[in-house]
Amino acid sequence: MDTVYFLIQQMMLFSIPLLIVALGGMFSERSGVVNIALEGIMVMGAFCSIFFINRMQNVLSGNLLLILAILVAAVSGMVFSLLHAYAAINMRADQTISGTALNMIAPAFAIYMARSLQANGVQQIPFNNTFRIKSVPLLGDIPVIGPLFFQNTYITTYLGVIILLISAFVLYRTKFGLRLRACGEHPQAADSVGVNVYRIRYAGVAISGALGGLGGLVFVVPTSTNFNATVAGYGFLALAVLIFGQWKPMRILFAAFFFGLMKTIAASYSGLSFLKNLPIPSNVYKMIPYIATLIVLAFTSKNSQAPRASGVPYDKGSR
Amino acid sequence: MKKILSLVLALCMMLCMASAAMAEGTYELALVTDIGTIDDKSFNQGSWEGLVQYATENNISHKYYQPAEKSTDAYLDSIALAVEGGAKVVVTPGYLFAEPIYLAQDMYPDVHFILIDGTPASADGDTRTNANVAPVIYAEQAVGYLAGYAAVKEGYTKLGFMGGMAVPAVVKYGYGFVQGAEDAAKDLGLAEISLNYHYTGNFDATPENQAMAAAWYNDGIEIIFACGGAVGNSVMAAAEAANGKVIGVDVDQSSESESVVISAMKGLSASVYQILTAYYEGSFPGGETILMDHTNNGVSLSMASSKLVNFTQADYDALFAKLGEISIPDDTTAASADQLPVEIVKVSLY
Repeated sequence: MDTVYFLIQQMMLFSIPLLIVALGGMFSERSGVVNIALEGIMVMGAFCSIFFINRMQNVLSGNLLLILAILVAAVSGMVFSLLHAYAAINMRADQTISGTALNMIAPAFAIYMARSLQANGVQQIPFNNTFRIKSVPLLGDIPVIGPLFFQNTYITTYLGVIILLISAFVLYRTKFGLRLRACGEHPQAADSVGVNVYRIRYAGVAISGALGGLGGLVFVVPTSTNFNATVAGYGFLALAVLIFGQWKPMRILFAAFFFGLMKTIAASYSGLSFLKNLPIPSNVYKMIPYIATLIVLAFTSKNSQAPRASGVPYDKGSR
Repeated sequence: MKKILSLVLALCMMLCMASAAMAEGTYELALVTDIGTIDDKSFNQGSWEGLVQYATENNISHKYYQPAEKSTDAYLDSIALAVEGGAKVVVTPGYLFAEPIYLAQDMYPDVHFILIDGTPASADGDTRTNANVAPVIYAEQAVGYLAGYAAVKEGYTKLGFMGGMAVPAVVKYGYGFVQGAEDAAKDLGLAEISLNYHYTGNFDATPENQAMAAAWYNDGIEIIFACGGAVGNSVMAAAEAANGKVIGVDVDQSSESESVVISAMKGLSASVYQILTAYYEGSFPGGETILMDHTNNGVSLSMASSKLVNFTQADYDALFAKLGEISIPDDTTAASADQLPVEIVKVSLY
């Protein structure tokens, strides 16, 4: 049973950043703007917030500091994503190109700034991880559920779940959500009934920037002791989760958990006694995430439905 | 109009570049970095520190160059840039420089090269070291041995080794680690030591590396020798969560995390410093490979910042003095770690 607890706890470290970033991507794409800049936005959010933690950790510690860092990450991600929004919405640029530009500038910016701002001139930004929650009071003592979800965890895990619930509600149950979806499917129609397509798309990209930046922080905190201007391709993986999840919040949750679990098994089989004692070559475990993804995609991609106007710049004149 | 404008702009740029080149002057000592940067907390940084130390002490101009990409051509371009910039000695850290230096030693016979962690070799396997090249390799297996011995002596019986890519330096660390654990177990009369052994295939901090380390700690592994640049940061993150211990690598990593109890260090800056000193004394040790080991400050454990209790400075000194007599396997001894000739240590390869 301990092994199962460990697997689930470990899976959260993979799944929650993927979930948050993919949900961010969802807001952007459902509004009609393809956002492949998620990787760069993650780097930017992680850089600003980790730097913030680095500077403030002598004064503050624990979850108060983490909550402030979360705000820093979200704001910096949002500001950075506005560059993409300006290029894609106002300038009607090719969204793939402007997204790529952001992906390229973010790590370079992070390295340059880290070197200029830190006294010792190095690019890694170290931080102390004082954010881990050994066991949530009361909830952590519940049998089975406690060890599964409320031990060795971070508040960001619950934040991810809350973001998911809010996203699903906003997208399907609010006026804004309806307008957002309309702009991604048929912006001309939305415009004809008085929806300001530009404004809605700006909102979509800004939300994706905030969630992307936050995802960067959530990604870095449990997996390293410093930030080295990279999120190891998880922004792109989040894009895959988004597509796998069919641009729908609950499906994105399942996709993120699926990827997370497969990755966890592949990475930690050597410490799981019931797996390592099986007479299976270790390479098979390493292949699991990729094979499972291929199989699932083969069965689901037939019904793949991207937002119809995603990636198409909206031009009022051509209505 | 546009044409004229672009012409003017192009001229401006050329003038700027020309004037920048003239203003730069010359730099006698140069370092060309490998993949990674001069602050990689590993061989680039160590080598650069040695160069800077010598240069500032003797007031010699110095500069580092970072190749545009990881390829022989890009490395050669950077070397050419360094030579044009007036470099008399070029330091190139990293085994990836084997081929660029093999070519450069003929192209620039008047320039001296210090090749860290490798020996000049052409793409088709020909090896030749001219008199203007001083290749330096390290006895990583010796310091790996010290680390393995220290871990078992401290009382740990479940060990882990997590290397980056399986390049010679990493393999030597790992094999030495296994042998050190074996010998310590023999000396202490222990029946069995279990050792998980793995190469991550990268030098990055990723959730995968963190997950594997976390799984090992969860499975009872007490201490992991993290031997692959930023892989160490992932292992440290996992160790902090699970109250595990970490052995650092290359430089003293005790400042990076509370979980680092000791580090296996290579004397990178010491070797660059020594060779530069020799060069300016007129006795550049070129033409043959220099082995840095326990006899010339090449390898050591970070005893100054050690958090070990049962493995004392006296133990270390006694063991260190014996290093010359002990046979330690290197990367040529066995094809993989589970084929090493050990009896007490049970190596599980993943």
